[in-house]
Amino acid sequence: MLFFRSEERVREWCRARGVEPGPPVRLDQLWGLAVAWYANRLTPEARRPRPDEARAIFARLGLTDAFWNPQADRFGQQERHGAG
Amino acid sequence: MDFDVAVRLAVYRHFAETGTRPTVGAIATRVGAGVDAVRAAYGRLRGQRVLVLEPDGETIRMAPPFSGVPTPHTVTVAERSYFANCAWDAFGIAAAIGADAVAHSRCGQSGEPLTLAVGVAGPGPSDWLFHCPVPAARWWEDIVFT
Repeated sequence: MLFFRSEERVREWCRARGVEPGPPVRLDQLWGLAVAWYANRLTPEARRPRPDEARAIFARLGLTDAFWNPQADRFGQQERHGAG
Repeated sequence: MDFDVAVRLAVYRHFAETGTRPTVGAIATRVGAGVDAVRAAYGRLRGQRVLVLEPDGETIRMAPPFSGVPTPHTVTVAERSYFANCAWDAFGIAAAIGADAVAHSRCGQSGEPLTLAVGVAGPGPSDWLFHCPVPAARWWEDIVFT
């Protein structure tokens, strides 16, 4: 998970590693992710978003590509009490 | 307060107050418990993906968004600096601390430096991008790589 100067730099990075580029994310969208994941991290109530919550956060930020679908990650379905 | 919550808070507050990872002994002192009890809590917190531990089971590699080891992503708040695990976590440290911050990083491809003010309402206008090569469903298959 890196910063890049431009989409061309993203494509160069991916080409050099033989991986498909994921969707580029604007920094205002990244800020939305950071707040959703971490704003209460120093409080007793902190926990990771469950997959369904994560999907809603992604959608609210306009990240609707299948790339952002966390449902295949079964963590939140197995441990509903979540994490920090 | 639940013991595991107390341990988690102690770890996170240590990172926030010092910019460094705590020893298991420091957390034991902070929560008023023995190191064996704290190690056991670490194991449970690892299972919940709250902590990423080194193989010794007690050295903290990650307490996201904080990194226990140096990385190319640093965040400065007032006079204190923090290592973030990734670009997302660089913003995450600013969000967690809730104060004006400056994120320092580089373009993942060209190495061009990035210095970005991140206020309590987020970063100012910027045409830089964030990119993750791993789909969300696979982030925790190898969280250090992700």
